[in-house]
Amino acid sequence: MSLTATELSTRAIVTGGSSKRRSRSRRRPPVVTGILLAILCVVVLSPFIWMTLSVTKPTDVAFSNPPVLWGYEPTFQAFVDLWETTYFADYLVNTLVVAVVSTIVALIIGIPAAYALSRFPSYVSALLLVLALIFRALPRFAVVLPMYDISRAMGIYDTTFALAIALVAINQPFTIWLLRNFFAEIPKELDEAAMIDGCTRIGMLRKVMIPLMGPGILTAGIFVFLFAFQEYLTALVLTDTSSKTVPVFIATQLGQTLPMLQQAGAASMLLTIPVFVIAFVAQKYLVAGLSDGAVKG
Amino acid sequence: MKHRILPVLALAAVGAVALSSCGAGTRTENENATTVSCDYTAPEGSTTVNVLAYNSSAIDPFTDTMVSSCSTDSVTLKHDPIDFGGQVTKTTATLAGDTGTYDIIETYGFVIPGFAEEGKLVPLNDLYDKYAADYGLDEISESMREGMSYDGELYALPMQAQMYVMAYRTDVFDDLGLEVPTTFDEMISAAEEIKQAGVMDYPIALPWLATSDVTTSYQAAMNSLGTDFVTADGAVTLDTPEAKQALEAMVALTPYMDPQVTTFDQPKVQQQMFNGTAAMSIMFSGRMVDLTMESNSKLFDSIGFAPAPKVTAGAEYSYNRLSIDGWSIPFNTKLDHDMLFVMMASAVSEDASEASVPAAYPAREGMVTEENSPYGAAANESMATAMPPIVSPIQATVTNEIRPILVQVLGGNISVDEGLAQMQAASERVAG
Amino acid sequence: MKAREFWILFFPSLLVMGALLVLPLVRTVQWSLEQVRYGTPGTFVGFDNFAAALTDVRFGKAVMFTVAVTVVTTVILLVFGYIVANGINRITTSRPLVLGIMLVSYVLPNLVGAVAYSWLFDDNFGGVVNRLIGFFGGTQVLWFTDQVPNAILVTANTVWHMLPFAMLIILAGLQGVPEELKEAARIDGANTFQTHLNVIIPTIRGVLGFVTLITIMDVLRMFDNLIPLSPQAQAIGNESIMMYVYSVAFADGAQQLGLGSAINVLTIILILIMLIPFIRGIFKEAKAER
Repeated sequence: MSLTATELSTRAIVTGGSSKRRSRSRRRPPVVTGILLAILCVVVLSPFIWMTLSVTKPTDVAFSNPPVLWGYEPTFQAFVDLWETTYFADYLVNTLVVAVVSTIVALIIGIPAAYALSRFPSYVSALLLVLALIFRALPRFAVVLPMYDISRAMGIYDTTFALAIALVAINQPFTIWLLRNFFAEIPKELDEAAMIDGCTRIGMLRKVMIPLMGPGILTAGIFVFLFAFQEYLTALVLTDTSSKTVPVFIATQLGQTLPMLQQAGAASMLLTIPVFVIAFVAQKYLVAGLSDGAVKG
Repeated sequence: MKHRILPVLALAAVGAVALSSCGAGTRTENENATTVSCDYTAPEGSTTVNVLAYNSSAIDPFTDTMVSSCSTDSVTLKHDPIDFGGQVTKTTATLAGDTGTYDIIETYGFVIPGFAEEGKLVPLNDLYDKYAADYGLDEISESMREGMSYDGELYALPMQAQMYVMAYRTDVFDDLGLEVPTTFDEMISAAEEIKQAGVMDYPIALPWLATSDVTTSYQAAMNSLGTDFVTADGAVTLDTPEAKQALEAMVALTPYMDPQVTTFDQPKVQQQMFNGTAAMSIMFSGRMVDLTMESNSKLFDSIGFAPAPKVTAGAEYSYNRLSIDGWSIPFNTKLDHDMLFVMMASAVSEDASEASVPAAYPAREGMVTEENSPYGAAANESMATAMPPIVSPIQATVTNEIRPILVQVLGGNISVDEGLAQMQAASERVAG
Repeated sequence: MKAREFWILFFPSLLVMGALLVLPLVRTVQWSLEQVRYGTPGTFVGFDNFAAALTDVRFGKAVMFTVAVTVVTTVILLVFGYIVANGINRITTSRPLVLGIMLVSYVLPNLVGAVAYSWLFDDNFGGVVNRLIGFFGGTQVLWFTDQVPNAILVTANTVWHMLPFAMLIILAGLQGVPEELKEAARIDGANTFQTHLNVIIPTIRGVLGFVTLITIMDVLRMFDNLIPLSPQAQAIGNESIMMYVYSVAFADGAQQLGLGSAINVLTIILILIMLIPFIRGIFKEAKAER
């Protein structure tokens, strides 16, 4: 049996259980499960814990073997050096600009397309799903290497513009598919009702649909932002000195000497912190997007 | 939720932009760099000069001098930090097409013949003659200038020389009463004693990175015995007894080195010395001064330096490679060659070179002595015992071909004889 | 909706996707039939590149490694994701905290996470895991130069990166399992294990299928995490297909763009073949719903 999103509430997933369940659930707290999950959380976070420790140690004990776990004075010198002696600020701006521009453009062209597709018969939606899957599954180099060639020929190689547009295109099938699923939940009768009142199709889209779709659009926006933010492969091929993003920078520092390795670690931590924030704050939307994909599939 | 995320992002973006204008890329804190005169005619409007150079305590002084001396309000020199592997990849990429990203690139003697043969670098003889007087270029050692020339034309302006130097733990050697090794056999017996005494499991550390450095080491071993991978005429000489002897000498060292030694680039070998997990290492001189810095390791004052050893007691030369680092102008840069040459010349001027000691061994006569550099004596002795290089444009290609096979031999997966046969065959295929 | 309205709304997306997805794909196919370098027109060589790819030992190793890691990762993700999802299903108050923590490894760029991960296993960075192994009496494991330990390292990192995704989706599926079904099973005398096996899992098989599909698609294309975790990938036979394409068609002077493109085409075909059962399933469901 397939489940529709209306039978699920993301709130239920995040906060835990439907009201039905609560009345009949066990009273004793699940201690063993809690302990095991706590251990799992520590294991999952262990790479970041270790990296945080390493980059806040003075250089002479940072990578010592056997590892030094106490008895030193923590320092933020690596962060200071990173900020002052490399172009990290530029890389960070590049990463953010690419992510933000991708998101905005993807939503601007994706929302109308998704809406249009949601009002089309369902075999089209199945076809769309198939196409979205196929494009998502493609080896990215098959698309990115020609982009490299074309961008060099056109003179837009190594610009944040080129990278942003490339990411819009690469993530477009998924974006449209996700938005389309959200749109499909809004009954078509609403369209008719709004248009009877004299709205054009596009006006109705703007004034009625999009406000209704708030959470859905936000979810899709967060996903596109994340995909662009996480991107390494495309950025590796399409950027050089002007539009380098933070993941590409980190990868070029893996063979450096000690103090610069600490700086690379500091750069990683500076990326991780906003990610932590996003993971907590936007949790609800990430869950909605992921689960929606699963159950609509 | 929407209302909270967007302002936060906007604030972060604004903050990052504001901060990026202060301090990005200023590396005036390098005590081995300085500011010199850099007199060129700037083009109209604002220009960015992209410099490609990897980071190491020996190269950074020259890069930093160039960036701080030649930047003006309208001309920005941009140098992104990059590791050595990254520089190799970017060099190939930028020289591949009609347009490239970089305007000044760091090159070294080994790759000059190949690039020069393919016309990838701008010949510098005319520019040299024009500016030699202003920047004291004639004091750059002539043999080094020759090392960066091909077919009578200079292709790179030498900034420094690097040769193998041995760094060892003076305290460990003193405690066990060991003599500083001068041959591979002596290294092995010293390592054996250190191992027996339970001080370290793997007393020797060499940069044998499977994707680059390992072939340099093999080449150094063959140089010690008086040969190289190819002759100047392009004949492949991996089927000679010297090739076998050099390879066997390397294999003999493996029990005394970390089993994952093929993951060691020079920074990782430095790490072995910092951590006290190795007692002897042989690396390029540019990596030596890091070992003496208090900020890097608690063992900083227990490091001694010695010249590179020989493979055998009767070998003519030492296990050594003399590498000259310099600045080149890629053929596909769109900027004025005169301006670029002046920038490069300022970076290798006398003041800049003096400031770079002891981090680097500048390419000017007699700058490094026992007094002004902790490894100066060792470096000078090493340089004197290095084999004069055999120059051939196919060397770089042959090196790339044999590298995977060499790694298999050192990992014990194929025998020495089998490996040599394969290397000879692969090289002959590309030598054409 | 009128056809004209549809096309007006859909056109910008279509333009972007057509120009930036379809055209490059066509170019890749074109390159796969040529001996070519960037910026220069190529010479047609027919199926030579494909023949070279299919007989290349290095490509064969890359395929084997990639497929092996994909299969192992998928199985582990399904089993472990299911267990963890059930565990999280049980807790209520601290659930947002746990979900938030678990999501971090998924949200962070894969490369950055892999760099942090690699530091735990590398003695040059303190080698915490190696110390732990030594503490528990194990022998030294060469994570970066031995093929199998390195494959285990890469698989572990991939699982670490994708677990939140699998777990969240399965969690969503579990929410939709009707309480009555579980009650009925309990009344019939089924123990917990049997309830899971015979009642819950069949109910959420659509969700499990989705996780399998996405995992296979994503892990087959792995690239980012191999950069820090397997710097010697070629030497030990642990290259992924995408790494091989990268080194052949981009790094090292890109001498063999045609070969790289041929491999891209072969990979596309491989993925399409693997997707066929899923595509059929989707169409079948769409027909059933009509």
